Amino acid sequence: MKAWKYIVAFWLTGVIIASFLIPVPNIAILKQSSRNLLLHVPMWFTMAVCFFTGFIYSIKYLSDGKIDTDRKAAMITQVGLVFGVCGLLTGSLWARFTWGTWWTFSEPKMNLAALGMTIYVAYFVLRMAFDNPEKRAKISAVFNVFAATTVPFLFYIIPRQLPSLHPGANGNPAFSQMTAPQLRYVFYPAVIGFIALAFWLNDIGLRYKRIKHKIERSA
Amino acid sequence: MIQLLILLQQHASGADSLSSSSFAHKWHGAQSVQNGGPFISMMASHNLIFIVLGASLIIWFVLLFFVIRTDRKITKLEERVNQNSKDSNS
Repeated sequence: MKAWKYIVAFWLTGVIIASFLIPVPNIAILKQSSRNLLLHVPMWFTMAVCFFTGFIYSIKYLSDGKIDTDRKAAMITQVGLVFGVCGLLTGSLWARFTWGTWWTFSEPKMNLAALGMTIYVAYFVLRMAFDNPEKRAKISAVFNVFAATTVPFLFYIIPRQLPSLHPGANGNPAFSQMTAPQLRYVFYPAVIGFIALAFWLNDIGLRYKRIKHKIERSA
Repeated sequence: MIQLLILLQQHASGADSLSSSSFAHKWHGAQSVQNGGPFISMMASHNLIFIVLGASLIIWFVLLFFVIRTDRKITKLEERVNQNSKDSNS
């Protein structure tokens, strides 16, 4: 195993310890749950980075036509989807104890995020529909380019224009004005750590798929 | 079902669920934390936040162990498959 993976393991252990132990200001309603900033928000950052990387690989596939590039696009997108699901679940739990509900359809950020995830679920359904790897790669690459263009709108631009309880709505800055400064010392390392973890998981999945392909081809 | 559970809770503990008098402040079977040495008394401080940290770290380390093991297994598999394809080529 390569050395950077041990660094990621060590780094994220530090982030978890710090996210519990860092002193937080006592804000009404939020109370200790403001620590969730260090866990919930990096999930979405990581998802966005994964989807963007997948988008780049899909464009690259359309120009180079290598099946391995398509494999890379699919794997990093899959990891991104896992982090997105974690973001939705942690957000739902947090909402129950701060907004009073697990899910509400009057909350644009929640619903548009869920909608964005279903677009990516459709990407994997689409991939399963083809037996021919060339055809699958080409059509899913085109789909992924379209899917990725919805991400900034669904997760960022539209929710910020609508009235919402979620921080960062109504055109207000989310992070910059309402975050206690000491949380940032953990927040940025947490973002870096979770993104690195995503690339680790991506590496494992990718190598598994390559080996599987090699065995199937030689059999 | 959940409402029923909540009702039962409230009934058993008298409306103010967990902080009520039906829960003793001290479990008499337990050793008090003062007798537990420095580690135990540290873990018992700060409203037991260290216990949650401990549980989270246990989960994290178990998952990490699993991921590292899978990574190593794939490395071994890669070596084996590459060895096989080299043998069949020569």
